[in-house]
Amino acid sequence: MEKVEKQIVEQLISGDISRDESRRLLKMDPKDPERFWTYLEVLQDRVKWKDKILLRISDHLYIVKKEKTGERLVKCECGHELGDYRVNWKTAANVRIRATQEEMSKVYFPATAVPEPKWNEIREFFCPNCFTQIGVEVVPPGYPLLFEFLPDLDRFYSEFLGRPLDDAQDDWYENQTNKKTAAWL
Amino acid sequence: MVAATKEIPRNKPGEIDKSIAHKISQRDELTEKTGHYWGIKEFTLKDSDPMKFERFYSRLQSACMAAREISRFVAASPGGREMGEAVWGLASAEGDSIALSEGFVSHSAAFPFAINFMVENGYEENPGFNDADVYVSDDGFTCGAPHPGDTYTYVPIVRDGEVISWACAVNHIMEVGAPQAGSWAMFAVDTFMDGFVFPPTRTGENLKQYAWWDEMWKRRTRAGVVNILDDKMRLAGCAMILKSVHDIIDEFGVEYYIQASKEVIEETRRVVKDNINNWMVPGTYEQSSFRVCLYKGMQKIWEHADKDTLIHIYMKSSIDDEGRFHFDMEGSSKWGYHAFNAFPGGYKVAVMMALAGALGYNTKFTSGGNYLMTSNLPEGCIYNPGTHIAAHSNSWAQMLMVTLQTFNTFTRAQFMRGYMEESFAVCGPWDAMQGEGILEDGTPYGYTNFELLGACAQGAYAYRDGDPAVWFVASQLCNMGNSEEFEQLLAPLFHLGRKLEPGYCGYGKYRSGMGLSTVQWINEPGQRLVASRAGGTCGIIPELSIGMMGGYPSPGATTAIAQGTNLQDLFRQGISPSTLQETIELSDKGILKTKKIKVWKSDAPETNLKQDDLWCQQAEAGGGWGDPLERDPLAVLEDANANMVNIAFVEEMHGVVLKASGEETYKIDEEATVEKRKALRAQRKSESVPVSEWYKKHREERVLKMNMLEPVVEMLRDATSFESYNNHYRTFWHLPDDFEI
Repeated sequence: MEKVEKQIVEQLISGDISRDESRRLLKMDPKDPERFWTYLEVLQDRVKWKDKILLRISDHLYIVKKEKTGERLVKCECGHELGDYRVNWKTAANVRIRATQEEMSKVYFPATAVPEPKWNEIREFFCPNCFTQIGVEVVPPGYPLLFEFLPDLDRFYSEFLGRPLDDAQDDWYENQTNKKTAAWL
Repeated sequence: MVAATKEIPRNKPGEIDKSIAHKISQRDELTEKTGHYWGIKEFTLKDSDPMKFERFYSRLQSACMAAREISRFVAASPGGREMGEAVWGLASAEGDSIALSEGFVSHSAAFPFAINFMVENGYEENPGFNDADVYVSDDGFTCGAPHPGDTYTYVPIVRDGEVISWACAVNHIMEVGAPQAGSWAMFAVDTFMDGFVFPPTRTGENLKQYAWWDEMWKRRTRAGVVNILDDKMRLAGCAMILKSVHDIIDEFGVEYYIQASKEVIEETRRVVKDNINNWMVPGTYEQSSFRVCLYKGMQKIWEHADKDTLIHIYMKSSIDDEGRFHFDMEGSSKWGYHAFNAFPGGYKVAVMMALAGALGYNTKFTSGGNYLMTSNLPEGCIYNPGTHIAAHSNSWAQMLMVTLQTFNTFTRAQFMRGYMEESFAVCGPWDAMQGEGILEDGTPYGYTNFELLGACAQGAYAYRDGDPAVWFVASQLCNMGNSEEFEQLLAPLFHLGRKLEPGYCGYGKYRSGMGLSTVQWINEPGQRLVASRAGGTCGIIPELSIGMMGGYPSPGATTAIAQGTNLQDLFRQGISPSTLQETIELSDKGILKTKKIKVWKSDAPETNLKQDDLWCQQAEAGGGWGDPLERDPLAVLEDANANMVNIAFVEEMHGVVLKASGEETYKIDEEATVEKRKALRAQRKSESVPVSEWYKKHREERVLKMNMLEPVVEMLRDATSFESYNNHYRTFWHLPDDFEI
């Protein structure tokens, strides 16, 4: 079975991959089962910190294992940690709201394509350290934050990858967002 | 999976029950008990002679493909003939599809719903199914059709009194006979305004429609001739399939046919199951979308419908213990007195579209994958009204978001898994123009122009921009969105423009392809011409709540109508607007003079059009991917030099400063770009607050005071009328127990 080279995976991540090469990957059948491990290897090489990456959840966000504390945290590529992965990382981010026509017109073009204020607000989420834009929501005011993805990491590793994590525990797959926000009030 | 039907014993003791009812019940019992389709654990036929098995399958597949490629030329409607907004298929006796042609393949998810309805309602006894009978239906409630514009034909293939298979076809017809002309009655209040809606009806026998059937199309729709030809088209394809299947049965035998068909479907199920295991990541994915329904002031006679509604499409996706995807839609709006409701069959079609794109392409495309897609559709919700009266003329206005959310679940998982080549911001902002007219000679007609049901931009990939004008989420065909035949057929409509709308896309590190704009010039409209907009997302709200990885979700679609213009004067001066944006600019400058110009960021209702009126649409953009400040300045430069972006806009969006270099080109001001990007990043810092701060303020000022538009309040009331969403909403905002939403 064909294994996709590390170099190609690097090109996918950096965006340098050629159209022909990306087409070749799209047409692969079956897809290379090793890909996740190559992916992790490339990603680990790219980041400046040492924590072990368990899963890449966004362009710049990773779930990592902290060896010292045993925690599993969301970590930005810049090194900033956004807390336990069971809590929606948006709660640890900064947010800028675009609520007026003028503000929304800076991100939608032309004027006829700009969402209507009052029906929507645009929520831009930033890493509080590097201010990379790590998420965008366009929702009515009053709408709860969307928790884009809570992984069942232990099931992923054991059932889907065949290499169980060694720190499995019962409450790893549990949405703990509301616990955190309760403490704000 | 369709629920098991109650069994009526049909045979004398000792005789094998070959009724469809019994087959459905056996299938369900065995599938449920074993987790394998029809309990098939061993591929006895496939493994014992794989060449014969593949030869068998390729015969079935070829029959379906040939049916489409030949019969579509029976049609006169461009939708049927040129674009093939249609599909032909072969289903098992129980309705599961075994083989499909090209086209909108996912509409096959509805087949079992129609079969089940007929069986549960006594059709097997009265009138009974004979070989080459013809059944037709377009009803979501009884047939699983997503909406009445999609018309299905079913031809039973019978041997010795036993239904072995169904030859099936579906296409989106030209005109459906609703009070609002076209094929998506956007202002229907209930199903009695959906148009010519009929449950599975026997309309013919021996591959020939009864004489009265043609009369129904002529009497109840505005495009009788075109709809009749579409009907003949579907039947022609089914006839070809029926004949091929009888030949195949003669060659392979009935028992082989039935057993091999089951193995084919089980094979697909296993491949898709493996795909889920190999490409997906388990966990909980949360997404939402919103769709406005602005009826206030438009439905005066129908007071109960005369309101503005915000439809909530809410999905939590996960993978269950059996390795199947589960989509929980609880929290989505309740059904209402508007055109945008749906039924479970149509919903299943929406899910299958996503499956087709991301999980079903490396196998025989049968309904096997559908057995791995389960859902929670609480009764009373917009996907399961629990009443037959709900209008569903345009379920797709909001139900396409089900497809997008499902598909985005898959592409997000592929991204996390490293199969980034597959990851893109899935989008589907479709649009259409429809209506009716009377030609100069008094001939009335109705029409739908599907030219914006395809040629969409594809959303941005995780590693490159999306392409323009290549994509339509419902179909793999590259000629979806072709418009030449529509222009030829629809007398008064002429394109002054059909091109990319500069700057109209979803932005991010990578942008979607540019969206499209069309300008229709109304010329020689005859005695009467009206048009209305039919479409998915409106300009008021993007189609998805979540932008991908820091990019922005796709903008919605807008219509602009200019009436009473000085177009003839402009033509003499060599001026001709070619996009919606140009039309508006010319009007703003006073060059295009109008008696009335209206921009609709919601659904434009039926509008009377006269000579030199202009109908403009701006649609079909896509979503962006990633942080816009990371976009390669060379990519911005390329767009600028192609006149595809607004210079001032991209400076603010991407922090790329361009300066003129020569007459019509730019170059990057490197230093200024570095400074600008620094400044924009600093602005992010100064203009943002920790979410904890925002949360407290937002809760105080908006949530506790219910300080929102009335339709938003109603939407929340609707959503929280369902227990789990009520819980979710209340606990997220930590609302007091006695707080009334």
